[in-house]
Amino acid sequence: MGGPLLEVRDLTVAFGPRDMPLRVVDGVSFALDRGETVGLVGESGSGKSMTALSVMRLVPEPPARIGGEIRLDGRDILGLPLREMPAIRGRDVGMIFQEPMSSLNPVMTIGDQIGEAISLHGRMTPAARRARVIELLTLVGMPDPEARIRAYPDQFSGGMRQRVMAAIAMACNPSLLIADEPTTALDVTIQAQVLELMTDIRERFNSAILLITHDLGVVAEICDRVIVMYSGRIVEEAPVEALFDAPRHPYTRGLLKSVPSFSETRERLYQIAGSVPPAGTIREGCPFRARCPLRMPRCAVEMPPMAAHGPGHRAACWATAEEAAA
Amino acid sequence: MARYLLYRLLDAIPTVFLVLSFVFVAMRILPGDPALAALGPQTDPAQLALFRERMGLNDPLWLQYLKFLWDAVRFDFGVSFLSNQPVSSLIARNLPHTIYLTLTSVVIGLALGIPFGVYAATRRNRPADSALRLYSLLGYAIPDFYLAAILLIVFALNLGWFPILGAGTGFWDGLHHIILPALTLALLKSAFLGRLTRTSVLEVLGRDYVRTARAKGAREGRVIYRHALRNALLPLSTGIGISILATLSGSVAVELVFNRPGIGRLLIDAISERDYPVIQAGVLMFAFFVIFVNLAMEVVYVLIDPRIRMAS
Repeated sequence: MGGPLLEVRDLTVAFGPRDMPLRVVDGVSFALDRGETVGLVGESGSGKSMTALSVMRLVPEPPARIGGEIRLDGRDILGLPLREMPAIRGRDVGMIFQEPMSSLNPVMTIGDQIGEAISLHGRMTPAARRARVIELLTLVGMPDPEARIRAYPDQFSGGMRQRVMAAIAMACNPSLLIADEPTTALDVTIQAQVLELMTDIRERFNSAILLITHDLGVVAEICDRVIVMYSGRIVEEAPVEALFDAPRHPYTRGLLKSVPSFSETRERLYQIAGSVPPAGTIREGCPFRARCPLRMPRCAVEMPPMAAHGPGHRAACWATAEEAAA
Repeated sequence: MARYLLYRLLDAIPTVFLVLSFVFVAMRILPGDPALAALGPQTDPAQLALFRERMGLNDPLWLQYLKFLWDAVRFDFGVSFLSNQPVSSLIARNLPHTIYLTLTSVVIGLALGIPFGVYAATRRNRPADSALRLYSLLGYAIPDFYLAAILLIVFALNLGWFPILGAGTGFWDGLHHIILPALTLALLKSAFLGRLTRTSVLEVLGRDYVRTARAKGAREGRVIYRHALRNALLPLSTGIGISILATLSGSVAVELVFNRPGIGRLLIDAISERDYPVIQAGVLMFAFFVIFVNLAMEVVYVLIDPRIRMAS
C-alpha cells in the first residue's frame, strides 16, 4: 500500500468539438496522502468542482471527455468501466456537496437516506442498520438522533442538513472524503461547527479530505496543504503556512490581499482587476496574464511550468520563477 | 387529514349547486319539446298535455327549479320520461360499467405511459426518445372515437379476436369485452402520460439529490426509480388526475362506438330525447366523479410529499 491515496495526473475535462475543445480542467496533477487535508481553492469556474467530480466520475460523459489518470489506492479510476463506479462511490470515496438545502431527497426520511448509503455497500439486518444510522447521526452531532431518523430534510436547518450529508458521506468510512464547498451556504457559526466536524472525522478515521472552497479562511483553519486553481489549471501548490507567508503566484497574492483583515485598516478591500476568463477560452500562454501585475511578453506565448519554491511549494509563473532563480 | 378532507368535501357543495343550476338552465334553453320527444310526433295533443302536466313541465320555471333542487338534495331523480323507469335504477345499472372502463383504462394507461416516459427520459435524444415523441404526437392528434372505430374494425371485425358489441356477462367475458374500449382510452392516456413522465423525470434527474444518490453508490435503476421517479410523481400526479377526468369525456365516445352500457351512453341517449331527469342525474354523476377524483388526487399528493403532510 505504498504511494499516495489519491493521485491525479494530467487530468483534463473537455467539452465541445474535438478540434476546438473547451478544457474546463486542463492538465491538473496533484496527490493526496492518507490522513491529509488538502484545500482546492479558486474562484467559481476555475474547474475545482469538475476536478472533484471527475474523481467520482460524476461528470456526465458524454458530453464531457475526461483524459489523464486518476489513481485511488493505486487503482486506475478512469480506466474502469462506468458500471463499476457505484461500488467505489460512497464506499471508498464519500462526497459532501455545496447545497445542503437541495442535496437531500425531499421525499425520503433522513434515516432512509443514510441507511441507503450503508446498505448499498454491505448487507445488514434492519436493526443493525438502524443502530448504525443512529451512531452516525450521533457522530455528526445531531441531537436526539433516535427521533430524528424519521424526519424529512425539510424539517432541518441548513447546518443540520449538512450534518446529515456528512453522515451519508461517512457511512462506509471512506478513505477519501471530498467536500465541495461544504460551508458556503451556511451561517458563520454553523460553518465553524461543520469544519470542526470534518477535522473530527479525519482524526477518527484517518481519512484524507479534499476540501474545495473559495474561502481562504476555511483553508487556513483546517488544511495541511493548498492547491490554487485558476481557469482550469493549477497555478500554485504549497503547504498552508508557506502559501500564506510567501505566496509565489501573483493570483494567489491577489487572493490573499483581497481577504478582509481585522489587524489592518484599509480604505478599500484589494481587488484583482478584471475578471476570470471562462475556463478553456485561453488556449495559449498563462491564463492569468491579462490581470497580472507581473506580466511579461513571454506570458502571452508560453504557459509557465510549475517551478519549485521550497519543500512542496510549486508555482506556475515566469516572473516569480526568475525571482527564485536570481 | 380526515378533517382536511371533510373541509374539501364541504367546499364541493357550491360546485355541485352550480353544476345543477347550469344543467337545469341549459336544458330549458335548448330547443325541443320533451313531451314530443318522449311520446313521438304522432301523439294526440291531449295526451301530450297530460304528460306535461304529470311531469310538472307546466309549472313556472322557478318552481320547476326549486323542485329539481329539492329532489336532487334527496337524491331523488324522478322517473325517466323515455323508459318510465326510476332514474336511480338506470344510474345504478350503468354507473358500474363506466367505473370499470375508467379504472381499467387508467391502469393500462399508467402501466404503459410511465415506464415509456422514464425510458425515454434516460435516453434523451436517442431513438427511444424520438419514438415517444412521435407516439405522443399521434396520441394528441387522434380523436378517441376514431381510434375506437379503428380498433373495432381491425381487431374485432376483421381479425375477430374480440367481441364487437356490449359489455358481456361474468368476469372473464366482461374482461374480454372491455379490452378494446379500455385500450382505446389507455393508448391516448399513455401518450399524454408518457410525455409528461419524460419531462418530469428529466427535470428531476438534474437535481442535486439525484447526484447525491449517485455519489452514495446507487446504480442507475435505483437512482431513477427510488429517487427520481418518486419526486417526479408530484408534478405527474396532477397530470394523472387530469387524464382520469379526460377518460370521462372519452368514455362517452367509446361507449357509443362499442355500444357498451354506461353513463356516457345513457347521457347521449337522454340528451337526444330531451329526457330531463336522466340528463340531470347523469351530469350530476359526472360532477361527483370530478369532485371525487380531485379529492383523491389531494390524498395522493399528501401521501407522496411529506412537505404537504407537514404543512396541513
